Amino acid sequence: MLWKRQIPILIVAVIGSLTLFGWFVDEPNIKSFVDDDATQWYDILASFAIFLGGFNLLKMQLQKVFRKQSGWQYSLFAIGGFILAIIAGFFYKGNPDVAWGIHVTAKGTLFKWIFTYMFAPMQATMFALLAFFVASASYRAFRIRNFEATLLLVAGIIIMLGRVPLGSFISSWFILYLLILIGGIAVNSIFKNKQYTAIFVIAGIVLVTIGGISMGWPIDQPGVFYLPYLQEWIYKYPNVAGARSIMMGIGLGIFATSIRYILGIEKSYIGE
Amino acid sequence: MNDRDFIIGAGGISISFLIYWFIGHPYFITERIVMFAAIMLFSGTLLFFIRKARRGEEIFLRDIPGLKAVEEAVGRSTEMGKPVLFVPGIQDMDQVETVAGVIVLGHVSKMTARYETTLNVPVSRAIVMKAAQEACKESYLMEGRPDMFHDDMVHYLTDEQFAFAAGVNGIMVREKPAACLYMGKFYAESLILAETGNSIGAIQIAGTASQAQIPFFVTACDYTLIGEEFFAASAYLSQKPELIGGIKGQDMIKLIVIAVLLIGVVLRFFHDSGVIDFSIINFLTVK
Repeated sequence: MLWKRQIPILIVAVIGSLTLFGWFVDEPNIKSFVDDDATQWYDILASFAIFLGGFNLLKMQLQKVFRKQSGWQYSLFAIGGFILAIIAGFFYKGNPDVAWGIHVTAKGTLFKWIFTYMFAPMQATMFALLAFFVASASYRAFRIRNFEATLLLVAGIIIMLGRVPLGSFISSWFILYLLILIGGIAVNSIFKNKQYTAIFVIAGIVLVTIGGISMGWPIDQPGVFYLPYLQEWIYKYPNVAGARSIMMGIGLGIFATSIRYILGIEKSYIGE
Repeated sequence: MNDRDFIIGAGGISISFLIYWFIGHPYFITERIVMFAAIMLFSGTLLFFIRKARRGEEIFLRDIPGLKAVEEAVGRSTEMGKPVLFVPGIQDMDQVETVAGVIVLGHVSKMTARYETTLNVPVSRAIVMKAAQEACKESYLMEGRPDMFHDDMVHYLTDEQFAFAAGVNGIMVREKPAACLYMGKFYAESLILAETGNSIGAIQIAGTASQAQIPFFVTACDYTLIGEEFFAASAYLSQKPELIGGIKGQDMIKLIVIAVLLIGVVLRFFHDSGVIDFSIINFLTVK
């Protein structure tokens, strides 16, 4: 019990407090512990732990092959890749002029060849899939289901158009006419009266036209309806406000969680 | 510790610090006093509400649909006879989000033990693998089903981001889990995982504090725990009073932050107008 409960809690409390309050202390040893030593300890631990991970991976794949579980053929590739990487990393450089150690990054070695011509393209392939997933996810997000989704759609269109050259050629007056028509749809769906809708749309069009004639139809005036300005405003204000509120929540969550660990209130990490 | 001891302890620490401060506070970085005071104030607030909760005071915790749905997701998997997939992010245990993810895994594995459902936890870091194995083992023991636990339910894939995404996608497509839970720190692979989960018709619940990934999860998952909700998961799922008290304390800190923001805006206005010389920005900026 002592080793599995009290000691881990004590280690978390001491190291956590030292790391937290070490930031306020002007003492070189504590400073170097907080900034360097603690993270290096972690890196050393992680380096040894990779053996555990590697063995686990190998064990799982071998089990699949020997038990002929479904998809065991794929495991052959995993085992083959594993063995090939070990050979290229520890036993065969492929270029005798390159020293051991830097052979993992030096040109002309087997390890570098595997990285450049096998690993990097495969990573890039997975990354490229993201573009298609973004498209399918955007379709779902932008489907007009409710007010929030509509707002998201409109904001998305404004941001997309406002950030490309085409957006700067779209006049504010065109957007105003568009808004009048959208407003007409809204009036119609609220009052369900054609006369009201007609009056709203005609009055709106007349007002916008009078405004345009009197101002000389400048493309970027009124600025609030000019897409490049509008997108910048959306991006800088509502977007940043929302992002910062989430950030504050996240920060508080991290703080509260850390304090709970340091004080030993949260003990779920030792299974309690 | 009773109330009297707590007050004596807190008072003792405060007086000790004041004495230390007035004798010249050697080794203390004076420019960081505001941050130090904020940490003390926030910690005190948290502790106050944790103690209140421990005393048995009822604390309201609003429903978090994403957390309510966790049990429903495990139940669905049980009914369909399919596994539950849990991904605790792609970062190591030095990230609070990963630790929070492993804690949620502990609760989820209790449910899978209770319902006798298969749990599959692919991880991308070896230390996370060991921590997750321990969490699951404890949960299965606590539920009285140690026979159902096996080390391989938590297995390592790779440290590489997209190789890990490919591995998890492969598991999803082959095993077709009925529930996919993503709880931890994610980067660009979030959408790849969530969209694949969506394509196999799994019920998906995500929780992350990675701000850039929240929109992707919101779009592709059925439920998303946004930021602080994710850190509240442990309290919500365990229903332990001291943890719920911490959540209440967090809300109170949020009120304090809002008050500081409002006061800061007013003080900034007066400073910029030349009415006062005190700059709140300089005062609050961490040096």
